[in-house]
Amino acid sequence: MKRKLAAAIVIAGMMVSVSACGGGDDDNSKDAGPDSWKGQTLTVWTMDGSVPEQWTKDVQAAFEKKTGAKVKFEVQKWDGIQQKVTTALSESNPPDVLEVGNTQTPAYAATGGLAELSDLKKEIGSDWTESVSKSSVYEDKQYAAPWYFANRVVIYNKAIWAKAGITDTPKTRDEFFKDLETIGKKTDAEPIYLPGQNWYFFDGLIIGQGADLVKKDGDKYVSNLADPKVTAAMEIYKKYASYSKAPKDKDEATPQQATIFAKGKTGAFIGMGWEAATAIQANKNIEKDLGYFTIPGATADKPEGVFLGGSNLAVAQNSKKQSLAKEFLKIALSDQFEGELSKLNGVIPNKESLESNLKGNGAAEAAAPGAAVGGTTPLIPEWAAVENTPNPIKAYMTAVLNGKAPADAAKDVESDINKRLAQKN
Amino acid sequence: MKRSVFGRLWPNATAVVLFVGFVFPVYWMFATAFKPTGDIITEDPVWFPYHATVSHFDKAVHADHFWTLVANSVIVTVSSVLISLVIALFASFALARMRFKGRRGLIVTFMLAQMAPWEVMIIAIYMLVRDNDMLDSLVPLTAFYAMMVLPLTILTLRGYVSAVPKELEESAMVDGCTRLQAFIKVIFPLLAPGLMATSLFGFITAWNEFPLVLILNKDIEKQTLPLWISQFQTAFGDDWGATMAASSLFALPILILFIFLQRKAVSGLTDGAVKG
Amino acid sequence: MSVQTEGTDTAGEPAVRKSGPPAPPRGEARTAKTPAGRRAAAAPYLLLLPALAATVVLLGWPLVKNGILSFQNLNPRQLIQHLTEWNGVDNYKEILSGSDFWSVVGRSVVFTAVNVVLIMIGGTLIGLLLARLGKKMRLLLMVGLVLAWAMPVIAATTVYQWLFAQRFGVVNWVLDKLGWHSMADYNWFSSQFSTFFVVIVLIVWQSVPFVAINLYAATTTIPKELYEAAALDGAGAWKSFTSVTLPFLRPFLYATTFLEVIWVFKSFAQIFALNEGGPDHLTETLPIYAYVEGVGNQHFGVGAAISFLTILVLLAITSYYLRMVLKQEEDEL
Repeated sequence: MKRKLAAAIVIAGMMVSVSACGGGDDDNSKDAGPDSWKGQTLTVWTMDGSVPEQWTKDVQAAFEKKTGAKVKFEVQKWDGIQQKVTTALSESNPPDVLEVGNTQTPAYAATGGLAELSDLKKEIGSDWTESVSKSSVYEDKQYAAPWYFANRVVIYNKAIWAKAGITDTPKTRDEFFKDLETIGKKTDAEPIYLPGQNWYFFDGLIIGQGADLVKKDGDKYVSNLADPKVTAAMEIYKKYASYSKAPKDKDEATPQQATIFAKGKTGAFIGMGWEAATAIQANKNIEKDLGYFTIPGATADKPEGVFLGGSNLAVAQNSKKQSLAKEFLKIALSDQFEGELSKLNGVIPNKESLESNLKGNGAAEAAAPGAAVGGTTPLIPEWAAVENTPNPIKAYMTAVLNGKAPADAAKDVESDINKRLAQKN
Repeated sequence: MKRSVFGRLWPNATAVVLFVGFVFPVYWMFATAFKPTGDIITEDPVWFPYHATVSHFDKAVHADHFWTLVANSVIVTVSSVLISLVIALFASFALARMRFKGRRGLIVTFMLAQMAPWEVMIIAIYMLVRDNDMLDSLVPLTAFYAMMVLPLTILTLRGYVSAVPKELEESAMVDGCTRLQAFIKVIFPLLAPGLMATSLFGFITAWNEFPLVLILNKDIEKQTLPLWISQFQTAFGDDWGATMAASSLFALPILILFIFLQRKAVSGLTDGAVKG
Repeated sequence: MSVQTEGTDTAGEPAVRKSGPPAPPRGEARTAKTPAGRRAAAAPYLLLLPALAATVVLLGWPLVKNGILSFQNLNPRQLIQHLTEWNGVDNYKEILSGSDFWSVVGRSVVFTAVNVVLIMIGGTLIGLLLARLGKKMRLLLMVGLVLAWAMPVIAATTVYQWLFAQRFGVVNWVLDKLGWHSMADYNWFSSQFSTFFVVIVLIVWQSVPFVAINLYAATTTIPKELYEAAALDGAGAWKSFTSVTLPFLRPFLYATTFLEVIWVFKSFAQIFALNEGGPDHLTETLPIYAYVEGVGNQHFGVGAAISFLTILVLLAITSYYLRMVLKQEEDEL
């Protein structure tokens, strides 16, 4: 009896140590091919709000039909997602496929947590749009597949604009400011809802000024916030914010700006096309008053710069279902479902040939001109750390909006940014 | 002794002011939860939910997996409290009634253990749990919660045990009880207030904990209510009605427990602390 | 509560109590010397075994692990690939040479001191007030205190965010109506001072009831004879307070202060949930600092080192009381 017990303990111990180093390469051998797929369940993490239910159902059905395996979608909240993904990737039983923000992809690729997908790129990715595929490449290898992209537009309340007597949407930034002024004077609505930390909008303004957030100092990257072009971008932001009563120390997600807009007392806000759906969900009556236009630039011929946000799909290195995961990517990114997602959500697909799906979608049509002049945050692995809570750039924005000189505010957060950029991997 | 009118009035007046100050946040939580949104977002506060509605509660309860989270929270909380009570009872009896080498060191050990800043050790805990392949499970969660409340439970119960007159126990033993029987029949009933006091503390701690469950259990089937409530504001925007309804539901079990146990237990912690 | 048992325990021996922190019972079982002998000598250790085992496994092990991690370069890459990269005392060097750490230590100490002083004074005054009140008023105030005390921290922080909300928050409305019009649209979380103000109000509100109710309970155990004796000696209200009440409550006050110091110092949810240590890291106390640097910035090795230093600081703060307890326990054996 005693001996049995001892043996059990030893075995238990071995099992612990084996599973503790799980996810090694030899695990993949179990997952040799289609024969082993039947009955398995693939776990996919998508972010809150990124896929419509219809799409999920269609993909699930197609996936099950083709592989005999099930796919389980788990919707993740944005709050604290970086820690969650990092720890999950270290586990022996991580989600098999996960949605990763395009600007965060290089950092995750550098950690070794993502499986290399260069083969998949050869197989299905020859016509991926170069500019959106760029973020999934790290050291010349493909670590994710570009999925969908989007950029911000102005979402406005037609009723309020009409009440203020404005008949046409603005074509330049100055016209836009003038319209906001008019709304403020002629109606009791808040002309625009712009919280102090809508920092991706700020990033778009920086891109519009032709500046970058980091610069090279020797072989290191350092903060470029003190650049006069960045200051100019911040001044534009400040001007926008002067038409808003939104808190200066909050971002657009806390509270969700669309729910505020949905109350019908806000002239406009700057957001993603899909946020319109959030607004409609909060208040059905708002739907008929919704309108969209491209964020106007300094001149009528070139719209404002935008941050081209988006998501890639990646496979966890520790996943034991590598081939099944790749099969999932092939289905999800096929012309049929990539097109469906683009159509349902009004997002920019990963291939130019699929952009026809955006026709008739007001938000997407307004977004397209911006996308042409869009950019991203610096695509370097070091960048992700800068955006960790508390994001120093947000602190900079709040400080300037509260009256601090931009140069001083930039100086205050510079050491924090540089420290984060210098973090060893 | 006759007090002046003023002398009789000011303690009562102060008491009323204090009462309002202490109760108001609790009241405001419930009041907001019952008010329709139109009465929440107003230029002048609506002080009472005249048009009471349960729609916010409806919304809060229909969040994904709500009842799973409730069940998990109850399981984890109750079992961690029971485990720590049993373990603490043994330990406190030894510390209060027996004389042995190393006693002083142990008392100080438990006092130090009480100071452990759990939130800052979560990465270490995470790695241990991960490497033992116990993520997404209620077991480690229960164990760590029990440990979080164990030191204070031991120190408090020790005070209670020593407050039971030695003679009672001895007379029971004279009557032919063994030491164990004497403990069960005589001491244990007298410890009831102490047990309630310490279990209240345990309930609050385990019920509230979130950094640990956030990092250990990614599977929503194994999560607890604090995660649900902490995600509320982002999930529902600035919907204060739903947020307050969620808070109310979250606070209610603890409030009821307190009111139910308070007569017997409220000062329990002192007795322990005084002798701690 | 256990007034009766407590009474039996303490009534006869105020002199003992006066001398310092509380005394465990006299008349310990002299187990080792009784005929039942050796088996009984092992009893205390057996009884303590589960508690010790739990402490070693569930607290000791993470502490050691934490200590080990603090000497490693541990970032997402190492965490994900299960790599161990020793880097000596680099983490400690980085922390101790930066200016952040020491200002956070200073802030944590001041923060703890302010809160504990407010809690202890407020709690004591309210506790004494409870003793003076009539039965009905006492019950009323008790109910208020218990409700505040019982509010779970997470619910409480959410409610405070709502009370102090910039738009439609009831606090700003009241201040505006009281004639403080600049406060009508005030953002409480925009500056260090005002954020701390809200945090302190929250913590004091939650902690005072514990002190007040327990202090009141403790005063009910003070034997009436002591006051009568004091009155015979011609002591007035103040004199009998300082010569009877205070000495009797001293051990209680020491122990409670110790607990409050620990609890306030460790406050995490209150500060983090209200404003995440912001604005600009200015309301980070040590636990928040460790969390933000370690978990938030995914600089896990550095985070471990900070948490180790946090424990040292807490030990230093409480060392006075711990020494006192050590000494007192020594006196007894």
